[in-house]
Amino acid sequence: MQLTASARRPSFHARLPYLVAVAALLAATAEVQAARGSDSSDNDQTSTGRDEGTVNRKKAEERSPLEDTATEHASMEFAAYNDSDHVSVVTPSITTGIENVSGGSLNASYLVDIVSAASADIVSTASRRWEEIRQAGTLSGQYKPRDFGVGVGGSVSREPDYLSYGVYATMVKDFDEKNWTLNFGYGFSHDTAGRCGAEGGLGASSCTPFSVFSRDLQRGSFNAGISWVVDRASLASVSTDLVIENGDQSKVYRYIPMFSPSVAAGIPNGASIDYVNAVRLPERPLEQLPLERHRFALTGRYAHRYDGSTLRLDERFYSDDWGLVASSTDVRWIFDLGKRFALWPHARLHVQKGVSFWEKAYVSNNPNGDPNTWDLPLYRTGDRELGPLWTIDGGMGFKWYLGKEAEPRTWQLGFTGDAMYTAYLDDLYVSSRVAFLGALTLEAEW
Amino acid sequence: MDARIVWTCMLVAVAGVGCTHVAPYERGKLAHPMMTADDLAGPAAAHVLAVHEGATGGGTLSESGCGCN
Repeated sequence: MQLTASARRPSFHARLPYLVAVAALLAATAEVQAARGSDSSDNDQTSTGRDEGTVNRKKAEERSPLEDTATEHASMEFAAYNDSDHVSVVTPSITTGIENVSGGSLNASYLVDIVSAASADIVSTASRRWEEIRQAGTLSGQYKPRDFGVGVGGSVSREPDYLSYGVYATMVKDFDEKNWTLNFGYGFSHDTAGRCGAEGGLGASSCTPFSVFSRDLQRGSFNAGISWVVDRASLASVSTDLVIENGDQSKVYRYIPMFSPSVAAGIPNGASIDYVNAVRLPERPLEQLPLERHRFALTGRYAHRYDGSTLRLDERFYSDDWGLVASSTDVRWIFDLGKRFALWPHARLHVQKGVSFWEKAYVSNNPNGDPNTWDLPLYRTGDRELGPLWTIDGGMGFKWYLGKEAEPRTWQLGFTGDAMYTAYLDDLYVSSRVAFLGALTLEAEW
Repeated sequence: MDARIVWTCMLVAVAGVGCTHVAPYERGKLAHPMMTADDLAGPAAAHVLAVHEGATGGGTLSESGCGCN
């Protein structure tokens, strides 16, 4: 089955990220020119005579070599995830960056996900435990010499059967002595999904080339936000995200069990694989999702600094045209324990309503009695994260500042640990999941 | 999401902007490192949330997609 689009002229939507990136670079260039002009005029005002100019030149020569005013930083993280659905992930990652006093910064990151899974979805298709490696990298730069800044960046993510790349550009503008700030951004990413393994199953080493089989997904993300100083100890922000996705994001390995109307009504939540196989119809079509999705999020953040602690609150409301509505609330209260230690509890609650075409047990009719004619639902999915669910997350984190007495934060050792419980309110195979995530981080700045 | 709710929230936010002016020399508490917008959780935690939750948004534009679900 060949689903790749034929070669055609790139649409305006596809060219938009490049236009935004070019506009951002032009704006940055103009800002640099303005800054240079301002600096030279300042110099002209302070140089009042030939003797003074000569002295300035001599001072400039004496300053050689130039002082390095850049700040470099690097961090390494080792994270491990495990859940009751027999999925485990190990994720080592590194991040590095450099910042200059003139307002320029450059950052890069690289991570590897080593995934091992034997979840109910995989076992139900008679597949064995599979392992997969994902590599992802990002590169970004920002220039903000004064109250206006621009940024550009890119990212790549690669799995044996999946390739994603993206670019983005951002703009930020401070007002009223940085009492409030506006920011805008646009990102574009392109995903290509393929298939690996014998007969399309997971776990084997052979992959079908993207040129033979692939599905494309394009994603455009618009972001706008405002942040402001509430008072001498509080900051707040509100931001909106609009994400437009075009393409087929149905999973090529996900087969959907079908049931007769009388059986579907009695299927319990979290049924066993054996039970499902005993009562389902012989047909088991692939997942099929709508080919377009418009996603919208409104996020609010609040941070307050007390004497000796910091409270951080996040709230996100989400809605999309597939019918999924969600709320995510995140709280951290960070306590300073002396000069070299910070400790915080963390809690998060996520609640969501499923997509409009979500069914625990999809019904297929066979009106004419012909075994080759099945009346399948247009859209069908087995992705539990598209169904109704709630997740509660509780955890702890700490940072240990290991630097010298004068600058203890130049070296930091950090740890975060979270336990997550998810209740799937209307799912065929799984009614709940318990997951653990731990991450150890070492950061340095010089 | 109801557009009226969105516009109401944005209006409240913009109205709140003009309520106060804090001079740079009064921002000692605001300059504390824990007051930055940087996430205390690392890239792995952000990725787990993206996979576990059917929602998106509120993060950076830099993360690319994956075939994780």
